[in-house]
Amino acid sequence: MAAAAPALTRSRRPRLGALERRNLRWGLLFISPWLFGFLALSVFPILYTFFLSFTRYSGIRPPVIIGLTNYERIATDPLFWKSAYNTLFYTALAVPIGVLMAMILAVAMNQKLREVGIYRAILYLPSILPVFAISLIFIYLLNPAYGMVNALLGLAGLPSPNWLGDPTYARISLVLIAQLGAGQWALVFLAGLRGIPIELYESAEIDGAGAWTKFRRITLPLMTPVILYDIIIGLSLGLQVFTSAFILTGGGGGRGGGAGPDNALLTYVYYLYKQAFQFGQMGYAAALSVVLFVVSLVLAGAVFRWARGWVFYEAEEA
Amino acid sequence: MTRSARRILWVWLAVAAIVVNACGGAATPSPAQQASASAPASAAASGGSAQPSAITGASCAAGAKEVKFWTSHVPPDSDALKHIVDAFNTANPDTCVKMTIVPGSETDIAKLLTAIRGGAAPDVYMADRFTVPQRAAEGVLDDITSATQGLSSQYLDFAWAETQFEGKTFALPFDTDARALWYNKDLITAAGQDVSALDMTKGPATIDTVVKIADAVSKKDSSGNYDVLGWIPGGPGAGGAAGAFDQGWHYTWGFTFGGTFADLTACKVTPTNPGVVAGFQFLYDWAKNHDPAAVSRWVASNRPVATQPAQQFPFWTGKLAMTISGDWRIAEQAKYAANGHYDFTFIPVAKQGDQSATWAGGWSMALIPNSPSRDQAIKFMKYIAGPDGQRVYTKESTHLPTIKDLLTDTSLYDPQHAKFLDLLKVAKNRPPLSVGAAYWDALTTAQGSVEANTMQPMDALNQVQTSIQPQLTTAGC
Repeated sequence: MAAAAPALTRSRRPRLGALERRNLRWGLLFISPWLFGFLALSVFPILYTFFLSFTRYSGIRPPVIIGLTNYERIATDPLFWKSAYNTLFYTALAVPIGVLMAMILAVAMNQKLREVGIYRAILYLPSILPVFAISLIFIYLLNPAYGMVNALLGLAGLPSPNWLGDPTYARISLVLIAQLGAGQWALVFLAGLRGIPIELYESAEIDGAGAWTKFRRITLPLMTPVILYDIIIGLSLGLQVFTSAFILTGGGGGRGGGAGPDNALLTYVYYLYKQAFQFGQMGYAAALSVVLFVVSLVLAGAVFRWARGWVFYEAEEA
Repeated sequence: MTRSARRILWVWLAVAAIVVNACGGAATPSPAQQASASAPASAAASGGSAQPSAITGASCAAGAKEVKFWTSHVPPDSDALKHIVDAFNTANPDTCVKMTIVPGSETDIAKLLTAIRGGAAPDVYMADRFTVPQRAAEGVLDDITSATQGLSSQYLDFAWAETQFEGKTFALPFDTDARALWYNKDLITAAGQDVSALDMTKGPATIDTVVKIADAVSKKDSSGNYDVLGWIPGGPGAGGAAGAFDQGWHYTWGFTFGGTFADLTACKVTPTNPGVVAGFQFLYDWAKNHDPAAVSRWVASNRPVATQPAQQFPFWTGKLAMTISGDWRIAEQAKYAANGHYDFTFIPVAKQGDQSATWAGGWSMALIPNSPSRDQAIKFMKYIAGPDGQRVYTKESTHLPTIKDLLTDTSLYDPQHAKFLDLLKVAKNRPPLSVGAAYWDALTTAQGSVEANTMQPMDALNQVQTSIQPQLTTAGC
């Protein structure tokens, strides 16, 4: 037994040869600017944020350690719960709708048409607009009396909501704005679609499969790794939504006002921003960001676990 | 040196060049930026960039000591500020004040905070005066006690008190203001109402009288939505957000109903004071009687953003007959609604014979720590916040001065403007607290919930008490 263990270890982690060690050393040196940036601009701030979360810190004066006070305050802070609810509401809707939109756009972009390049450009175009500009335009598009969206709804005989003045519709507006970025994800989906071997479809056609069956039995299973990737990144971005909410509320609540009706547009990171930059509570903001970090990790872990049941990797079948 | 080592060196040099270029670009404005004297609107638009352009100082002497001055004010008020800065630069050729309009608001100083941390801070910052104690507690403002000895007596007491924290001076008071009920005579007369009931000489009208007149003016369109509104006493704010549509803030109605918001001696906030609760109850009841969703829809339609240009303000476009607002509307009316017939009167009272209340706000000039031009910056602060600066600002912006002597200088006021001087005599002010901005925000959230009729006044104000008092206890008074 004593001899078997080292042998097992060797088989898992073979010792590097002289050349490999040299390559590794040079490789690390070549990426050292990135490594330095990663350690200095990502790892250090994360660790420092953990430290700040246990302090009272205005951003100017030296931090004062106050133990768990910031975390105790979070538990009783009604705006923490309100902003968490707003953010989860947004993420729960924006991510699945985003996946659906990206898939639809990708399928449309993948059609065998001569002018498909033009369609791709048109579908992708909204994605290159900055969120700032889109959000600003949406304020006017969603105007209940003079906006184009309600005008179109009115023509269709549908009710015209008070988009940004009603708490529920205000949250939905954020989700709608996010969909204008679907073109970016559609490109990733398109790459996935084009990676599916054509032979699979040809075989299915010989067996008499229709379009829907081909999509359900071939396209969808082979696209699940891309869908998982979209969900994980979407989850991360969704929990950090800030810019659109910030702009829709006039940039920081305008002249002393709140973040949308009944604070419906107060997203978690927006609240964190207000604590840090309006109220000089950097320590409390750090504690809020630590909570967000932990929640993000837990949710990502849960999604990965859930994905084991439905993500299909071709290598597994080989 | 081997070939690989040389390559790595090149990689690092390339990265260093990018970093140095990025940092250098942020810290040093280009000559074009320095020379720029673009219109305030464009300067505000460029405020999102790393280094927004200054709108003064283009013609300064080469050797003049530079003083960076930041404000979040926009036209027309920033026009008056620019005139003061230009006059100072002309009179003081050894100093060059460069005024820049930066993003920000009464309570949002994100731009300033990041500039301080990034070593690119201004020397002088125009801060909302009620937030000065909070910013002083945070270390954002510098102590100017020794440089301002003997100045306190020339300023109004409440304005000076707002610049103090722990017995030290952190800013010089600039302007102040007062609030009143503005009304559109034409809309009220067209609705068949007696506009003379609002005449200031008759004293304050009751809230019931004002609501009755306003309801007669309000009109709905064929869809049942408000087209013209008679009055919105409180909110919602721009876009339907929590807060005041104009100046019908929590403080306005709390003071009107005899409330007090803090006990400074005990270092306590008092949002559940009976007068404050009564003010919130009025807002709750008014909203309930006028359908919160319908009012919100009208606001979102007619005032979608707080940064809406002044000429589109619904009071000037004939969509709103009455609004609680301030003296600055005098200058706006002259500019944007010169042909209309407007007047103002006292903020209405709960019962006939009650004393009308109003409150005064205003801004201040504060020094940022570690200023490389400290002496010149303080000299400029004393000028702009002194008689010379305040005289120009009072005249051009139709705000009110905080220097006592200027209150009796009749050359600064036309008859309409002078009426606000009378209001100022009885005006209250927001308590100068080290959590002033957070308290404002919490009260605003409470106001939003009450006006949406989703919370009862006492429940909402209890939440304010619970969230703010521990912060005040920690920060001190």
